Amino acid sequence: MNPFDEQATVQVEQIKKSFGAVEAVVDVSFEVYPGEVFGLLGPNGAGKTTSIRMMLDIFRPDAGRVAVFGGSMDEAKKNRIGYMPEERGLYRDLRLEQTLVYLATLKGMSEPAAKGQVTEWLQRLDLYEHRTKRIQELSKGMQQKAQLIATLAHSPDLLVVDEPFSGLDPLNTRLVKQIIQEQADAGKTVVMSTHQMYQVEAMCNRIVLIDRGHSVLYGRVDEIKRRFAGHAVSVAGSGDFAHVPGVLEARPPGENGAWHLALQPGAEPHDLLRTLASRPDITIDRFEVAEASLDDIFITVVQGQRGEAADA
Amino acid sequence: MRKAWLVAKHEYLTMVRKRSFALATLAFPVLIAAFLALTIFLAQGSSDERPLGYVDLAGVLIDGAQPAGDADFAFLPFAGEPAALAALQAGHIQAYYLLPAGYRESGEVQLTALSETPPGAAQRAFDAMLRASLLAGQPADIQQRLANGVNLTVRSMDGRREFSQSNFINLLLPFVAGFFFVYAVLSSAGYLLQAVTTEKENRTVEIMATTLAPDHLIAGKAAGLLAVALTQLAVWVAAIVLGLAVGAALEPALRAVQIPWTLLAVVLLYFLPSFALIGGMMIAIGSVFSEMQQGQQVAGILNLLFMAPFFVLIVIFANPDGPMAVGMTLFPTTSFLTVLIRWGLTTIPAWQLALSWLLLVASAAGSVWAAARIYRAGMLQYGQRLSGAAIKAALRGHGPADELARGHTSS
Repeated sequence: MNPFDEQATVQVEQIKKSFGAVEAVVDVSFEVYPGEVFGLLGPNGAGKTTSIRMMLDIFRPDAGRVAVFGGSMDEAKKNRIGYMPEERGLYRDLRLEQTLVYLATLKGMSEPAAKGQVTEWLQRLDLYEHRTKRIQELSKGMQQKAQLIATLAHSPDLLVVDEPFSGLDPLNTRLVKQIIQEQADAGKTVVMSTHQMYQVEAMCNRIVLIDRGHSVLYGRVDEIKRRFAGHAVSVAGSGDFAHVPGVLEARPPGENGAWHLALQPGAEPHDLLRTLASRPDITIDRFEVAEASLDDIFITVVQGQRGEAADA
Repeated sequence: MRKAWLVAKHEYLTMVRKRSFALATLAFPVLIAAFLALTIFLAQGSSDERPLGYVDLAGVLIDGAQPAGDADFAFLPFAGEPAALAALQAGHIQAYYLLPAGYRESGEVQLTALSETPPGAAQRAFDAMLRASLLAGQPADIQQRLANGVNLTVRSMDGRREFSQSNFINLLLPFVAGFFFVYAVLSSAGYLLQAVTTEKENRTVEIMATTLAPDHLIAGKAAGLLAVALTQLAVWVAAIVLGLAVGAALEPALRAVQIPWTLLAVVLLYFLPSFALIGGMMIAIGSVFSEMQQGQQVAGILNLLFMAPFFVLIVIFANPDGPMAVGMTLFPTTSFLTVLIRWGLTTIPAWQLALSWLLLVASAAGSVWAAARIYRAGMLQYGQRLSGAAIKAALRGHGPADELARGHTSS
């Protein structure tokens, strides 16, 4: 079933928010549908968290419109939302199971049902043996998993996770990734904000890229990647590839022995090839147009935006 | 409101399960028990059961002339002082009394003991024997009347209060109880400060903000901690009532102490608005400051406002109806404690009680209203305190307070 046939779980239209003289969000719009993992991306201070807070009715937007589950937020809708904020924590001096059951009951579950759900999640995330420990006695990774249980125990229809992988080892990162994917497969709506582009690439159907309070890129990940094809090249050879006109970012050779060069907006691969060939300090063994990664696109768009702003 | 109830239940259970709560709550009953034990010990005297001796050179004393109830001490007559002194040195008696030949004229009596003088009860028993001997020949009821002396009762003009020499504890009790009740209010409000700042410190505020309305969260916290304070009070009132009942059964001196039911009614009337007043202040402080420590410093200063009557105790004792006492009765932060202190000293006019209670209730309502607004404004301030301008804006219903949704916003 195409998720876009359904009504959007979240509709954000041209929201704006200022704190005094600081414009945190200027013009952000996006929609999120059931069954998709939606990526909310942007550099630090771009306005992602403020947008999430407006989306979740923690802040009221100065202008624009937010609709969740088809309308304004109310107490019943709050029970259908699971939010894992970036600034996270749990009651440190309380016991793990007691805290999770309390939070689940606040989300509308009965105590026996909450206990059942919490037990299942504790077992799945290998925390069951630690259920009677105080939260401050748990390791950072364990606390991170506990936070995920607090977000999921009440089976929310809308999951908003801000940097869900921070503090997790590779094993637990994989587990959390799997859980998020399961939620989307079960028809839940997932909004994920992260800096880890490879995770976004692997998990998200669609993204919005926010920079300086504006939505600067929005759409399906595969379409965006197609749109930005030719914005990166892979070059094997010797010389300083970082300081070549038209190159925005040069990543040193990886396993394939080739440099990965992200191109500046407007720069073309054949122009770059010509420039490299004319440089006596550079030799080229192999040159090919690479598929742009989201990382490249992120850098291209954000730095391109800043270049335009500086020129203006 | 189900969520507010869940928050209240959670806060209550979390607090009463803490060891510090158990210690603070049980300390008072332990103190009462210790006070009772000390009173009974002092009243009953030492455990020295050796008889007392007497040498009656005036020919006044009649052996066995003690009134009923005072016959706990045995008295041994000695013909002369050398015999009594020898018995004392041999350890057969605790001490001996000497009535010189001129006792009827001078009224002088000498007591000789080795190191410790006999307990007060023993001396009262000898005194009773002496009175009974002097009154021998009088009708029994006259003897009894003279032996008991005068029991003076001072009664106020309107008859609402009376105070007699035998129940001086009734004066002390409101004062001591007042201290503990105010302590209960302040400590519970302190927990509230902790509860508000803890959520900011451990970053659970954002989860809460997407779970329930801020008003429900704060109402639940306040209700839960109020229940904690009431639990503490119930334990203490039960300790006082039980202590007095047990004490009266064990020691006749404590029978004169009356359980101050009217005082308890006043406590109940003042307790709730006093708690709301300081609770609101603590919530506001917790919302303004980002760290518990900063909040506690300001809260400590605020607590002084509530404890102020203790600092002018001498003035209130000296003139319980003076301007200072009346002013503090009417001032909301000091009214609870001042009323309790004055209760044992004077008859507080009904208009003062009514006005002080109304002022207290009005300021408590204002405090809770302001606290809710400041809480909404300050709940997401991590690591920085709420500015004066932001507080003013929050109280006017603009600015940061207005930024925060109240459960049914977003447009």
